[in-house]
Amino acid sequence: MKKNGLYSKEEKIFQDKNKLYRAHSVKQIAYSTDPRDFGQVAKSIPCQEACPARTNIPGYIRCINEKRYGRAYELNRGANIMPGVLGRICSRPCETACRHGAPDNGVSVGICHLKRACADLKSPMHRIIEGLYAPTGKSVAVVGSGPAGLAAAHDLAILGHRPVIFESMEKPGGMLMYGIPEFRLPRDLLMTEINNILRLGVELKTSQAVGTHITLETLTQEFDAVVVAAGCTKPRVLEVDGEDLENVYNGLEFMKAVNAGETPVVGNTVAVIGAGFTAVDCARSAIRLGAQQVAMHIRKTMDDMRIDETEKHEARFEGIGVESLVQPVKILGENGKVTGIQFVRTRIEKTGTPPFKKSVPIADSEFFIPCDSVIAALGQAPDVHDVSDAFTGLDKDSPATGVKGVFAAGDFVTGSTDVISAIAGGRRTALAVDLYLTDMERKKTVVRLESHATTDRPRSYDFIDRVPMNTIAMDQRLADHTKEVETGFDPDQALEESQRCYLCNLKYEIDPLRCIYCSACIDVAPKDCIKMVETIPVNADGTYGRYVQTGQWNQVVSITIDNEACIRCGQCYDVCPMDCISVTKTELIQMDMDE
Amino acid sequence: MPTHDHYVIIGNGPAGNAAAFTLRENDPDAAITIISHENICFYSKPKLVKYLAGKVDEDALAVRTMDEYRRRHIRLRLGQTVAHIDPDSQSLHLSHMEKVHYTDLIIASGARARLLPSMKPYADCLTFVTEFNDTRGLRKKIADGSRFFIFGGDLVAFKFLKMLTDMGKQVTLLLYPRAFWPHRLTKDMQDAIVKNLAPTGADILADDDLDTIVQDQGKYCVTTKQGVRTQADLVFSFNGLIPEVDFARGCGLEIDHGILVDETMRTSLEHIFACGSCAQIYNPDINTYTTSIGWPNAQVQGKVAGLNLLGEHHKVRPAGRKYFDLEGVKIKTSWWEDLEKGKDT
Ligand SMILES: Cc1cc2nc3c(=O)[nH]c(=O)nc-3n(C[C@H](O)[C@H](O)[C@H](O)COP(=O)(O)OP(=O)(O)OC[C@H]3O[C@@H](n4cnc5c(N)ncnc54)[C@H](O)[C@@H]3O)c2cc1C
Ligand SMILES: Cc1cc2nc3c(=O)[nH]c(=O)nc-3n(C[C@H](O)[C@H](O)[C@H](O)COP(=O)(O)OP(=O)(O)OC[C@H]3O[C@@H](n4cnc5c(N)ncnc54)[C@H](O)[C@@H]3O)c2cc1C
Ligand code: SF4
Ligand code: SF4
Ligand code: SF4
Repeated sequence: MKKNGLYSKEEKIFQDKNKLYRAHSVKQIAYSTDPRDFGQVAKSIPCQEACPARTNIPGYIRCINEKRYGRAYELNRGANIMPGVLGRICSRPCETACRHGAPDNGVSVGICHLKRACADLKSPMHRIIEGLYAPTGKSVAVVGSGPAGLAAAHDLAILGHRPVIFESMEKPGGMLMYGIPEFRLPRDLLMTEINNILRLGVELKTSQAVGTHITLETLTQEFDAVVVAAGCTKPRVLEVDGEDLENVYNGLEFMKAVNAGETPVVGNTVAVIGAGFTAVDCARSAIRLGAQQVAMHIRKTMDDMRIDETEKHEARFEGIGVESLVQPVKILGENGKVTGIQFVRTRIEKTGTPPFKKSVPIADSEFFIPCDSVIAALGQAPDVHDVSDAFTGLDKDSPATGVKGVFAAGDFVTGSTDVISAIAGGRRTALAVDLYLTDMERKKTVVRLESHATTDRPRSYDFIDRVPMNTIAMDQRLADHTKEVETGFDPDQALEESQRCYLCNLKYEIDPLRCIYCSACIDVAPKDCIKMVETIPVNADGTYGRYVQTGQWNQVVSITIDNEACIRCGQCYDVCPMDCISVTKTELIQMDMDE
Repeated sequence: MPTHDHYVIIGNGPAGNAAAFTLRENDPDAAITIISHENICFYSKPKLVKYLAGKVDEDALAVRTMDEYRRRHIRLRLGQTVAHIDPDSQSLHLSHMEKVHYTDLIIASGARARLLPSMKPYADCLTFVTEFNDTRGLRKKIADGSRFFIFGGDLVAFKFLKMLTDMGKQVTLLLYPRAFWPHRLTKDMQDAIVKNLAPTGADILADDDLDTIVQDQGKYCVTTKQGVRTQADLVFSFNGLIPEVDFARGCGLEIDHGILVDETMRTSLEHIFACGSCAQIYNPDINTYTTSIGWPNAQVQGKVAGLNLLGEHHKVRPAGRKYFDLEGVKIKTSWWEDLEKGKDT
């Protein structure tokens, strides 16, 4: 910690110890397909488990800590393909799951900001690494060049097939290009990462709408397989009177216009309706178009908004208000133009099906707010019939479509989700297509276990505050609408944030044969992490269940480390007089089936 | 007949205390515990203003003595912070890693000062007053200082302004029209407030916003967007309160600004009630959701929560007057009474 010098002495001792251990240790590596090891990895590394693409988060954070930004970028790319993009706009399910954000542990690690940091800080000489399989001679048509289509095409190219993307718009990228505003995602960066995919031998045909310019049937005849990743393009409507008035916009259309450089008329006061990504982007864009008062109107509570805290903060910072627990009744107008909206207040009621709640209007609670324009950003649904009438049996959990040789991926089949889910979906579909084309399963996931002689981080790191993202000032945001708001971390900030990660991929274990039950480890444990266990049940799927604990010494079968509670502080490791605590690095990796 | 009930109340303010004493009156046997992160016995927040002005001493702040809790067998756990609620096991996790089991829980955790997002970079330069802890060292600074800056427009902002001008201090107030959720001060209201505050002699700035605050040798230089530059010994921020509910997030409770309750103070989860300024409730009189504002209202809500926890079915009706007076401007709400007005202790 250069900044305040607080930890320097401790760090020094720690680093010396580290070096010593490294010199004397011999690495032992094993590969496992035991369900217990998969279960352990899933429970121990909550961030990775929450990431739809299973990104090796502690792995890349460790690399950033060692200033190996290129390696960190490649670890990301191997799982999520577009780290620079995701490092800016990912919906961050990993951060919600991060152990550092658990009650009592503080605030989650800035996983996403670190992803961006490795993309930003890697050397300009950085080389991307791809392990290409031999050409198969098979060709695959991919409909749509959004994140799902791009990810599918990427993996198909790696597997030796020849993908051709058909995209109805002029440019590739889907919602990355036409939905998400430039002030959150610079287009040159987006194009660099898209080109990294296209370079692998992916052909891109733009302004080619399947179902209009070319039929799905033709594609099935001309290609060995087809992947439909056409996203969600059909906007949901409010279904209230007045929706056809001038200055009532649909959220996606509004964003498309803004991203094309147009300046839709918004007036002084703008009412945005909706709670998701699109709604926030519309509100922030309206501010940039000169609106003085912008508020988002949502049916449920602030807590139910499906956007992450950083974005909520930026929206608030830009002066955007939120009116929660309201629902529009009708839009009022004069001379064809909007004058305001009549709303009704809502309350939350429980239901028996997910998400187990709904908003219901409160009787006699109508109220009116004046406004100059309305942006209805209620999300989109897939326009299945636009592509083909052949789809009858789409199942959101399966890449198959019911039509032979035709597969689906991304929002088109799952309904609106987020970029990382679309990418993970695209990759899953590519594997299904590969199996269909080659009749071979070519990859398997295994757990790599590597002995690790050190505990890797001093306890003081647990008390570092989360490093806030750097942003530009409000006047700069208004002066240039496309200027990126967040400006990334410098190397010192990236280092500091990386130190916060517990490195949950390190598994702590006690050797029961050497343990003398002195309980010295329990005495120093900062959490309820070391347990006196009576039995450890095994689940039906072969993974371990929850420990059965006991307080009675005569029933203790072993003293066991609960890797779900462990924050990898290393204190137990340091005090154990019998040296019976070991550290193992665990990692999910993809291997060739014949390896 | 002894029971094993353990009623736990988070919060040692008017709402929490009303709840605890109501419970004791109606259930002589249950174990009752109040947990509060503040390390001081139940005290009057409204009196903090006079305390800071040097008009009353710390002793005068006390509302109840330790002895009263002892006599009623209400356990006070002061200086302890609730970190998380686990409704499945009906337990609270305290920040020092202890777990406390409850049969029923009343959350009365109050509210804390709102830091406007745009002011985040200057948080270190701002002084907030929402609890006794905030006042440590402040009395002397106020006595010694001569120029003060107030940024905000909530009820406490005006109380402070009058306190400081009464003490003969020079005050600049920058009016922030959205300080008092859910109400927004219109242009007309702001004009009226500026006019009505004129006799205090304070400089009132409206239609403007803070730009930068620079700290230099213990003094602050405040610049507004319109270019007004002022020196001050302290910069106060009174921009409304936000319910203190972070510890309750993620446990399944429905939370909007505050914890959502119905008019019986029930939350969305069984065995959990909420009352006082941490709770958000639909107020049909003014056709909007509000959080409870003010001391009397917190007491009423605490009492209702206590009774309903014991199986009754009372509903809260807003206490006090229907309109409150924001420096001559009438705002339709029903939750506030100025307890210290006119009383000069
Ligand atoms: C304004 C906005 C902001 C968002 N912000 C975020 C965010 O910050 N973080 C996040 O994770 N997610 C965000 N999302 C959601 C995210 O963009 C989508 O979930 C994701 O892009 C879905 O990927 P996809 O490939 O399935 O579909 P899409 O990205 O929608 O791509 C589908 C592609 O198919 C093309 N297509 C459609 N029909 C045809 C046809 N008939 N023939 C040929 N091509 C066709 C479309 O033109 C498009 O290029 C946002 C969405 C919007 C609208
Ligand atoms: C300077 C000032 C002047 C005021 N003047 C007036 C006035 O004249 N008239 C009027 O009606 N009102 C006035 N008020 C407002 C009034 O004080 C509040 O409305 C009232 O105190 C709210 O009561 P409460 O019980 O809901 O919460 P509070 O009194 O805020 O009590 C909250 C309690 O919860 C505890 N707590 C919070 N989180 C945790 C946690 N995680 N773990 C453990 N404990 C926790 C706190 O320690 C505290 O004990 C004034 C307020 C201030 C700050
Ligand atoms: S602390 Fe690090 S490894 Fe652990 S969950 Fe958080 S980001 Fe993942
Ligand atoms: S390293 Fe040991 S002492 Fe530290 S949290 Fe993990 S089990 Fe507990
Ligand atoms: S310190 Fe070592 S020997 Fe003692 S109980 Fe813990 S693991 Fe066993």
